Formats: sequence, structure tokens, C-alpha cells
Amino acid sequence: MVHMKKRSEGALGIALLLPIITIMVILVYYPIIKTFSYSMQKMKLTAPQDTGFVGWANYRSVLTSDSFWYSFQNTMFLLAVVVVLTTVFGVCVALMLNVDTKLSGVLMAAAVLPWALPPVVNGIIWRFIFHPGYGFMNKLLIVFGVTDKPIEWMSSRFLLLFVVALVVAWRSIPFSAIVCLSGLRAIPQELYEAAKIDGAGRWTVFRYITAPLVRPFVGIGITAASISAVNIFDEIVALSGYSDLGKNLLIESYLTTFSFLDFGKGSALTYIIMLISAVLGFFYLRSLGKEVEY
Amino acid sequence: MNTKRGKLLYTVVVIVFLIFTVGPFVWAFFVSITPEFEMFKNTMNMFPTEPTWTNYVTLFTDSARQSKILFQGMANSLKAVGLTLLIGIPVALMSAYSLSRFQFRGKRVIKNAILITMVIPVFATVIPLYRIFVAYELLDKMFWLSLVYASSFLPMSIWLMSNYFTTIPVEIEEAARVDGCGRIRTFFAIILPVAYPVVISSALIMFLSAWNQFQIPLILASSFQTKPVSIVTSEFMVKDSIQYGITAAAGLIAIVPPAAAALIFRKYLVSGMTRGSTK
Repeated sequence: MVHMKKRSEGALGIALLLPIITIMVILVYYPIIKTFSYSMQKMKLTAPQDTGFVGWANYRSVLTSDSFWYSFQNTMFLLAVVVVLTTVFGVCVALMLNVDTKLSGVLMAAAVLPWALPPVVNGIIWRFIFHPGYGFMNKLLIVFGVTDKPIEWMSSRFLLLFVVALVVAWRSIPFSAIVCLSGLRAIPQELYEAAKIDGAGRWTVFRYITAPLVRPFVGIGITAASISAVNIFDEIVALSGYSDLGKNLLIESYLTTFSFLDFGKGSALTYIIMLISAVLGFFYLRSLGKEVEY
Repeated sequence: MNTKRGKLLYTVVVIVFLIFTVGPFVWAFFVSITPEFEMFKNTMNMFPTEPTWTNYVTLFTDSARQSKILFQGMANSLKAVGLTLLIGIPVALMSAYSLSRFQFRGKRVIKNAILITMVIPVFATVIPLYRIFVAYELLDKMFWLSLVYASSFLPMSIWLMSNYFTTIPVEIEEAARVDGCGRIRTFFAIILPVAYPVVISSALIMFLSAWNQFQIPLILASSFQTKPVSIVTSEFMVKDSIQYGITAAAGLIAIVPPAAAALIFRKYLVSGMTRGSTK
């Protein structure tokens, strides 16, 4: 009797999962496998008759093209700058939000705002700031005498990438800050009180209590920022279009697939990007699983 | 000594923070009220000398081309968001409840298989999806677009919800069931009233993610009747390349719904974000 009940319970449990399993299989798992099979085929929509299995040829052709390595460098540059900016300013904002004042509510509201913004609109808004002619940044730099003629932000490779990284960091900082803040808030007050009784100085308290206990949360922020940095797309399109100068791997894959209509090579590129994301994702899921002991 | 210096430091940090966070919106607003001729003048004026509301008037004039495009885009985005929530929230609730309350073989595998997709980039699935959509003539169909949205936002919601459900003591449920409540009734009568904050956070995160989508609709929804406001605004940038003022105005209008939702429900947004990231 008990046994039967248990079995029907399990059946209900699986039944409740049927919708999500169906959705995941059809819209995520099947396509992922399909993408892999495309990446092993010659498949250009410009030559629909000329198809067939080519093995790793698409991967070889991707990995030996200058265009790929150019985009790869750009992706890595963006990754590094976004992670550094997001982490440094995320921690600063978290420390600021942790101070309890009359302003706290307003500051929290302001911090949430960039996060809610569509990335593409984010890019557009910053384009006005970094516009070579009437942009705010140029006016500011000229007024303060830093430069005497407008800087062409969008026509130099690393200047453009830096602007993209800045804009993406701006959108990623709130998440990083709020996660870090929840880490700060989770530290039991008793620890601070105990340290005070023991006569520990401010630096000692920070070094031995705050920093180690907040580190896992900063880790979550870093991994989340690196995943969004590898997947930058909208901001680049908004800031510089699909131009070659600022393209990263995602733009490269989009152009290969939907502009040059080479689905085989595009799929191979996508798989390479997925591999990079998977490595970062592994650290993400692992950092989430970490328990903090107080 | 510390308090005085600390106060000063705090004030400086707050000011810098506010300039950086709110500043870009303010500047976009100035661009949107700057007349075209003044924008290209080689002037060092920070602010327009002759502000004009023309761009907003155009965007709110029914007969204007830009107005039609923008508001169709807003309507499309709202429809996609609505459908995504209608599909996403019930499915997330069912899945999360099952994963947090039932015991059966293969549960761990299923849970991990769902959660791992959180880190898979959109482009890994969109190429075959595009071909499927072409083959079955699903391109530019709002329902199928929303289903794809839901598939990419569901893992996060399921994770948030099942973490929350496991914190609700099983005993209160068992008590209700001893009193003769069925599983389904227990869920609606006991679990849902307790778990509503996580439902609101999940709905909010889904709303924002769906509203902000760009890559998926770029490939799967390019027609006037389906393309969301994010695509429309970016097209203002490309197609109406000279008209920066109207692009700025359109961009600012497009962020009103997500910004309002995020500000009104920010308590739930913050708790959802932190729960989602820190268990």
C-alpha cells in the first residue's frame, strides 16, 4: 500500500516535469546537437546543392583564419577590461550601499536602473556620450583642456573596444554590487563585536573577517561578468554596427552565418564560443555551489 | 577623525556614483531635446540653447511614420513579454515544485540538465532553430518566439523557485494533507501564498529579460508585426542615421516599461537576484 502510494507520487513528480522536459528537448537540446552536426558539414546557403560531411574541416578553416584570431583577441580584451572594471566598481558600490543613511533607498533605486536597461539601448545612450563630434566626453575633455580637438572614439580599435567594455561594465556593475552587498550583509554582527572586544583594528577586521567572507560573493560577480563579457553583442552593434574594427567572436559568428550564409562554418564558430562559455560557466556553477561557513 | 573623513569620502563616492549612473540618461535626454541644426554646430555648449520638444511630438503623433514604428515595436514587446510570462511562470512553478518536493529516479540528472543550459549562449541553438522556423513557417509568429524566450529564461526561474520551495517546511504541507487536502490543492492553498515573493521576482526577471532581447528576435522575428522595440530603436540608429535626436527620444521611451517595473518592484528584484546567485 505504502509502496504503491510512493510510486504514484513519483509519477506525479515526473508528470509535472513533462512541459519543461518537452521545451528543453525541442528548443535547446535538439538544436545544440543539430548545431554540432551542421558544424561537421559543408552547408552554404549560397550553394545549396553543394553539401556533405566534411569532418573537422570547418573548425580547421575557422582556427586558421586571421579574422577568427582578430575577433578572439577582441573578445579576450573585452573580457579582461569588463571583469576588472565590474569587480573594482562593483565592490565600491557595494561598500557604498552597505552604509545605512537616508539616501540608501534612492541609491539602491539608481543602482538597479542600468541593470533593467535593454543592452542595445544602453549602447545607443553611450554612443551619444562618445560621439566624435557633439559627444559629451569630447566636450568635457576639450573644456578641461585635456585635448584640443575631438577624439575619434569609434575609429581606433582599442579605443572602441575600451568604450564597449566600459559600457558593458556599467550595465554589469549593479548585479556584481548587489551580490557583493548580500555577502556583506550576511556576515554575522557577532563576529565584528567579538573582534572589537579582542581589540582588533579596522584593517585587521577587514583583512580577517570581511575580505575572506565576502570573497565567494565577489567570485560570483566575477564569473557572471565574464560570461556576459564573452556574450557581448547588442552594445557592439549599437556602438559601431557590424563593422570589422570592433567585432568579437559573437559578431564574427553572426556575420558568418547570417550575412555570408555559411551555416557550417558559423556553427563551428558557435561551438568554439560555447566551449569558452562552458569553461566560464563551470566556474560560475561551482562558485554558486560553494557554501560559506561563518 | 574617522567619522569626518569617512563622511567626506562617502559624500564623494555618492556623487560620483550618481553622476555615472544617472548621467547617461540625462545626457540622452539633452540630445533628445536638442534641435538638429544645433547638434552639428561645432559648439562647446553643453546644453541646447534652444531646446525643442519636436522629437517627442513626432513620436506621439499617430500619423507620423516613426511613431507607428516605435509604438508597434512597444506593442510587440509587450505581447512577447505577456506570452513569455503566461508560458514561463506556470511551467516554472510545476517544475520547481516537482524538483523540490518529489523523490524519483533521475531527478538529479533532470535538474542538472535544466540548470546547465543557463550558461549556453543563444547562438548555440539559434541556427537550427532558424532552420526549423523556416521549414515550419514559424518565423514572425509571436507564440513561438515567446516559447524560445521562455526556454532560455526558465532555468533561472526554476532554480530560484525550487531553492525557495525547499526553505518552506514540509510539515505545514503534511498537516494540510492529513486534513484531506490533495497535492494540487495543497500547492495552491499552502505553498503559493508563502512563496509569492519568489514568483514576483521570477516574473520580473522574465519580464526584463524578454523586453531586453535583441539577438533572438534579430534572427527569428524581423517583420513589422513582430519585431520588438529593442530592434526598432537600433534601426532608428541605422536607418535614420542623421536623426540622433529622435533616436534618443525613442530610446528613452523604450526604457520606460522596464525601468518602471524594476523601480516599483526593486525589493523583489534585489531579493531575486541575490537568492538566485547565492542560494
